[in-house]
Amino acid sequence: MNATLAAVLAVLGLTLVKATPLIYAALGGVLSERSGVVNIGLEGILIAGAFTSVAVSGATGNPILGALAGVVAGALVAAILAFVATRLGVDQIVAGTGLNIAALAAAAFGLVLIYHQPGASHEVPAFGKGGEATLIVLAFVMTAALQFVLARTPWGLRVRACGEDPGAAESAGIDALATRFWAVVAGGAIAALGGVYLSLAELDLYSDGMTAGRGFIALAAVIFGRWTPLGATGAALFFGFFAALQYTLQRAGVPSELMQALPYLAALVALAGLAGRVRAPAADGVPFLRS
Amino acid sequence: MSAVLRTRTARDLIVVIVVVFGVGSIAMLLAHVSPLIGFGALFDGAFGTKSEVAETLVQATNLLFPALGIAVAFRAGLFNIGAEGQLLLGGFAAGWVGAQFPLPGYLAIPMVLTAGTLAGGAWGAIPGFLRARFGANEVIATLMLNVVAMLLATFLVTGPLQQGGGGASETATLPKAAQLPDLIADSRLTWAFIIALVLAFVLRWVLQRTVFGYELRAAGDAPLAAKRAGIDLGRTAFVAMALSGAIAGLGGATLVSGVLHRFNIGLSPGYGFIAIAVALVGNLDPLWIIVASIAFGMLQSGGIAMQAEAGVPREVVSLVTGLVIIALAGRRVMASRRTT
Amino acid sequence: MRRRFGSVRAVDGVDLSLLPGEIHALVGENGAGKSTLAAIAYGAVRADEGTVDATGFVGLVHQHFKLIERLRVWENVLLNREPRRGWTIDVAAARARVRALGERYGLDIDPDAVVETLPVGIKQRVELLRELDREPAVLLLDEPTAALAPSEIASFFATVQGLAARGTAVLVVTHKLTEVIAYSQRVTVMRAGKVVARHLTSETGIDQIAREMVGGDVPALAARATTVATPLLDVRGLSATSGTSELLDATFAVGAGEIVGIAGIEGNGQSALADALAGLVPFAGSADFAGRPLRADDTPAARLALGIRVIPQDRRSEALVLDWNVRDNVVLGRQRSLAPAQYGAAAREVIERFDVRPPNADAIVDQLSGGNQQKLVVGRMLAGAPRLVVAYQPTRGIDIGAAALVQSRLIEARNAGAGVLLISFELDEIFACADRVLVIAGGRFVGAFERADIDRGRIGTLMAGHR
Repeated sequence: MNATLAAVLAVLGLTLVKATPLIYAALGGVLSERSGVVNIGLEGILIAGAFTSVAVSGATGNPILGALAGVVAGALVAAILAFVATRLGVDQIVAGTGLNIAALAAAAFGLVLIYHQPGASHEVPAFGKGGEATLIVLAFVMTAALQFVLARTPWGLRVRACGEDPGAAESAGIDALATRFWAVVAGGAIAALGGVYLSLAELDLYSDGMTAGRGFIALAAVIFGRWTPLGATGAALFFGFFAALQYTLQRAGVPSELMQALPYLAALVALAGLAGRVRAPAADGVPFLRS
Repeated sequence: MSAVLRTRTARDLIVVIVVVFGVGSIAMLLAHVSPLIGFGALFDGAFGTKSEVAETLVQATNLLFPALGIAVAFRAGLFNIGAEGQLLLGGFAAGWVGAQFPLPGYLAIPMVLTAGTLAGGAWGAIPGFLRARFGANEVIATLMLNVVAMLLATFLVTGPLQQGGGGASETATLPKAAQLPDLIADSRLTWAFIIALVLAFVLRWVLQRTVFGYELRAAGDAPLAAKRAGIDLGRTAFVAMALSGAIAGLGGATLVSGVLHRFNIGLSPGYGFIAIAVALVGNLDPLWIIVASIAFGMLQSGGIAMQAEAGVPREVVSLVTGLVIIALAGRRVMASRRTT
Repeated sequence: MRRRFGSVRAVDGVDLSLLPGEIHALVGENGAGKSTLAAIAYGAVRADEGTVDATGFVGLVHQHFKLIERLRVWENVLLNREPRRGWTIDVAAARARVRALGERYGLDIDPDAVVETLPVGIKQRVELLRELDREPAVLLLDEPTAALAPSEIASFFATVQGLAARGTAVLVVTHKLTEVIAYSQRVTVMRAGKVVARHLTSETGIDQIAREMVGGDVPALAARATTVATPLLDVRGLSATSGTSELLDATFAVGAGEIVGIAGIEGNGQSALADALAGLVPFAGSADFAGRPLRADDTPAARLALGIRVIPQDRRSEALVLDWNVRDNVVLGRQRSLAPAQYGAAAREVIERFDVRPPNADAIVDQLSGGNQQKLVVGRMLAGAPRLVVAYQPTRGIDIGAAALVQSRLIEARNAGAGVLLISFELDEIFACADRVLVIAGGRFVGAFERADIDRGRIGTLMAGHR
């Protein structure tokens, strides 16, 4: 009995670990999409957060500074998308894809520049168990905070207005383009914490490809969670659970590739099952062009 | 083309050139290399000798197939980010079938290429089906399937469909009969290049001159009007995605049959993603995509030389590619079609 | 004041002044520049030349509401001006304020309702309250009664008169002359972007204003040939839903060689009817076409194959591929039945017969004016001798000349033996073209009139949902 209980607790604990970066990325995605901008570039933001936090932590010896740098990096990367999406009105999905490619390449480039070796950085000062737990708890705190901000604050109402009907919002005196811009940037800052967690909490280095498509699973979590912070976090926990199962089932003889594929397959099923029955913010993904 | 589109094209090209040379120069400076030396090594490596030109065309071919596939999807109003996975599975199918069933030359090559085309087509048909039947967003579906493709191929090649001994992560070497013949002797350039060129011309003809192409473009450019005109949007989406995947799969097959002569998990350095840039730079027109693929092929092959000769990390090429995609994202402002 | 949109002078040298406490009507045909002028006065659009001066806040109630459907009433009314408590919104105060506002102006409203669940007349109240909360000195109302039933119109203007009595200057932009005569003190008439006349309402009448709105003579419509209608479309108990539009239990018939007009206020089931006939949505009940039953789950392709053509309400988003040229747009819908070699001839035929300008098959459709775009759409729908034509607002937003041409061609199609179902929100259009008039209200057919028995008053009453 004790062994089973221990196993269950281990899986639950692992679920939290696996879900936390997804939660941060998904929250960032929710904020961005509620304002009307689809952020396919979450993967790139995770990469920016992961790499920058490692680089700065290595340079300063302080993981907290590294984390802050990672957040700033995420905000900056998001700002690129925010700019081309709002000011230039380009296709947000295409731009986000380009962002992911560029971010991955920039990080790889950075690895060679700073560490003179491709593939992975050196080990850097990272968060211990305490820091890791703080980041996990912070993810849930942020979920509640974002839920409240969207529902009950003036800025949150403006964000929601821009995501539904930026034209109507503008006729009420709201600057839709600026609101969208800052929502995307703030979302990027939050999402970057997911990358920070991956590189400084779960490990203590950055390696090429460590984000492994989590940014895309986070997108599925946003949809699955019906574009609400609480929903997205729930979905992220769900996907994290599948990732956690991987180790347990692997010992039971299930091929490791199938286990690794589980979260992605789960996202696919969710997508097919939910499509058409949930509604995105009405102006999500539609560039707003002032006439 | 109307006057508006023409100036946009000119302005876009200027932006691309600025991005490539501007960002490239900054990155080179960060790597303590003079941009003159860096770009010099790049171009020299791309066109210096005959064999280098051949290598540039090899890279161009590898990009041309997925770019054509992505363009077909784009024209239908769909975004196929899954070309990488479709290409991978196409290459796997080609490599495995070719090694498993030795046949004489005139049968082996068609068999191998067909296997790759079908595999890629099936992998493209999945998100196509999800989109047609459930209205599921093909962007996320294809992204997910990219990862699953990699895992599936790894599982198959090291497990049940293993052809080497001891869990090797590649298929057995293709028999000579199944290998595409070289176009330029002693180079990696094969008839795949000709096949790709012909395919581009065929696709252009199909898009502009056939009813199928008309309906596909209508579905992409004005879905509501297309629906009212009797065009079945779901079926068009399904066929477009399957066709897109098939073309990418064919690319993987030619890569395996002509260049590598076996399937290996690492066969693609991201061709399916770079091809997005190629498709956009080519303005989704198959003939211009030929030109764009040569340009990007030049970056790919020259990039390797740039790293070897001038010490500039090859990742600069990918970085610039990503930024080009962002810069050209305005090229295809798709009408809002979000279905989830 | 001047404002151009592309090559069109939407507003050309217009001077307009409003007095406090007056109700001032601004009239003109579709495309005369009235809405643009209102938008400029409100500040949403900037004039290229000229100035706007007002003694206080200018409020605008738009023709197509600028409400955020998925937000609540109080969120819409107080957007960007919410009462605060520290960092957060004081929701209780917001609700109370909206309720008090409603009481003050006699407009009952539930502050917590989500806007997309409200009927059109109530939504307009929300839009109105949003402007009223800012105590406007000037209130602009753009086609305010387009979506209201006649009884709602009376109570709406009662509210407006109350506002004027308090000193607000009210500008009503409209093309409904009966309301102008009944409720306004002064009238300004616009045509093609310019002011062509100003009157005290008491000193003018509908006929004079109408003539000024239209300018020269209205082109004559095609002559009506005597035909005997033979059965074509026989509908019984038809029900369908398309988006928010609902059709309930409709029973009617359309014969070959007649035009049946469907009169009704926008939003009373017309879209459901048109989409069901087009094959875009399934229907319940029975519908026989040329003697054989229509399948409820037909695709648009199947209906096109039967010879049923539906001219949609919104040409830009539902009928045209704006980036393509005229030729490819003419072919749309017939791309399988025409050989590519015939495309050129098909395009030429439509361009000539429907006077599409510029007469160039390679012109990009987005560059054409609205009138020419609509002529193209109608032209291609009438080509190939269709058996049933459903024309849904076929002259929406186009100039008088183009409208007359479109209506003439519909009459000619009828003369040639087609059955035409004319769905329109403009009674004048229906009275000009139809052989029979059916009235739709609340998704049901509530009245039928032969051409000789047309009774404008009675039809208006039925449209409002009264018996």
